[in-house]
Amino acid sequence: MSPRTRVALMALVGACLAPAVWSIAAALPPFGAPTGAYGPTVNALGPPLRHVSNMVSAVNFDFRGVDTLGEEFMLLGAVTGAVLLLRGARGEDLADAAGRVAGRRVEPRSSAVVLVCHLLGPAILVLGLYMALHATVTPGGGFQGGVVIASGFLLVYLGEGYRPWRALVRSRALAVAEGGGALVFALAGFWPMLCGQPYFANVLPLGVFRDMLSGGLMLVENAGVALAVTGGFAILFLEFLEETRAPRPRDEPGSGGGA
Amino acid sequence: MSAAPWLVAALLFAAGVFGIVTSRNFIHLVGCLSVCQSSTYVLLLGVGYRWGAVAPVFYDHPPGTPAVDPVVQALVLTDIVVGATVTALLLAMAVRVHDKTGTLDPQALAPFPDRRR
Amino acid sequence: MRVLVALMLALTLAAGLGVVLSRDPRRQVLAMAANGLVLALLFFALQAPDVALSELTVGTAATPLLFLVALAAVRMNRPRK
Repeated sequence: MSPRTRVALMALVGACLAPAVWSIAAALPPFGAPTGAYGPTVNALGPPLRHVSNMVSAVNFDFRGVDTLGEEFMLLGAVTGAVLLLRGARGEDLADAAGRVAGRRVEPRSSAVVLVCHLLGPAILVLGLYMALHATVTPGGGFQGGVVIASGFLLVYLGEGYRPWRALVRSRALAVAEGGGALVFALAGFWPMLCGQPYFANVLPLGVFRDMLSGGLMLVENAGVALAVTGGFAILFLEFLEETRAPRPRDEPGSGGGA
Repeated sequence: MSAAPWLVAALLFAAGVFGIVTSRNFIHLVGCLSVCQSSTYVLLLGVGYRWGAVAPVFYDHPPGTPAVDPVVQALVLTDIVVGATVTALLLAMAVRVHDKTGTLDPQALAPFPDRRR
Repeated sequence: MRVLVALMLALTLAAGLGVVLSRDPRRQVLAMAANGLVLALLFFALQAPDVALSELTVGTAATPLLFLVALAAVRMNRPRK
């Protein structure tokens, strides 16, 4: 199919769908008007029923916990697929030298970058940990905290260089964190079944409202999600950065990993 | 203003699809896909918003204050993180396609039965 | 408040168009980072701090970095397999 045909087809379909989109946009409730009763019910019943103040975390880990289980395994599947594609072609050994693009000068690392990374790296790691721990009281949670911690690892890479960063993050520990996090999340749901309750029922003590340790089973699920997201994103960064190393020469017998 | 988020979402989705259809580079195509994803976030959060309501976190204001819908926020929140990992999977595929065929142009690659290797 | 939300929606549309219309992938990475920032600000304006936090990190740091590294890996002219 030539490019012109493709664009013409798209324009045709767009012209057919445009009246439908317009009428739907007119038929939807006006922006800002109350829509449905599920949201306000959760807002009204969440604090007395579960002693948490972050309703979004309550929905993610308690009221709709099974949906988050599905998202968790989507994350696991996508990371596994990416690792399989990249590491399957590249091999398991680490490469010694960084890859070079022909004709480009290599810039030394700027001292301003190193200073900023030294200052901000630990701060961002602590911020990510704070966000992941205070899932049930303030905006935050396992998803956000996990990504912030993974980006803190990235600041370590920017400030220190490849080898110290590779010595710090071990792909096996990250794989254990990622799989272990998903496992903790799934098993946290089975624990209530041993007590005769439905899957993901909140059987742990609920704690005090506005306290960090409130929410019961939500804290366990949140820890599982934080571990899985941190491990997953850090593995992705690791695999992609490993792709930019120099390709290993094929005819060297027993060229072991460097780093 | 009362239909603004729905129209913005529709326009963003159309722009993303246009970018995907006319793209000459896989990596550019994955970026346009992320624009399509962001259009769904705008739509969902627009549905949940209420004028004069606060965020659904009852730490500073007491429970019972009118707040926006937390269910759609939970949906979008998990989707953003998982969507990023799916984007990474697509980028890994793009890198491998470039390794195998030397090109990143989606319109220059033939499907499987054609022996163009 | 209405003006703020309207402004953020217009900026979101502009940022999305900027991502699509940047044909060079290296320029598009910067447009994607800007798009992530604008989306995070829109989510803050729509009273969604959780969503804005995750979009901020993912959209401005994680995803553009993955794109940059994929572009670097593609430019390195690895042996064909």
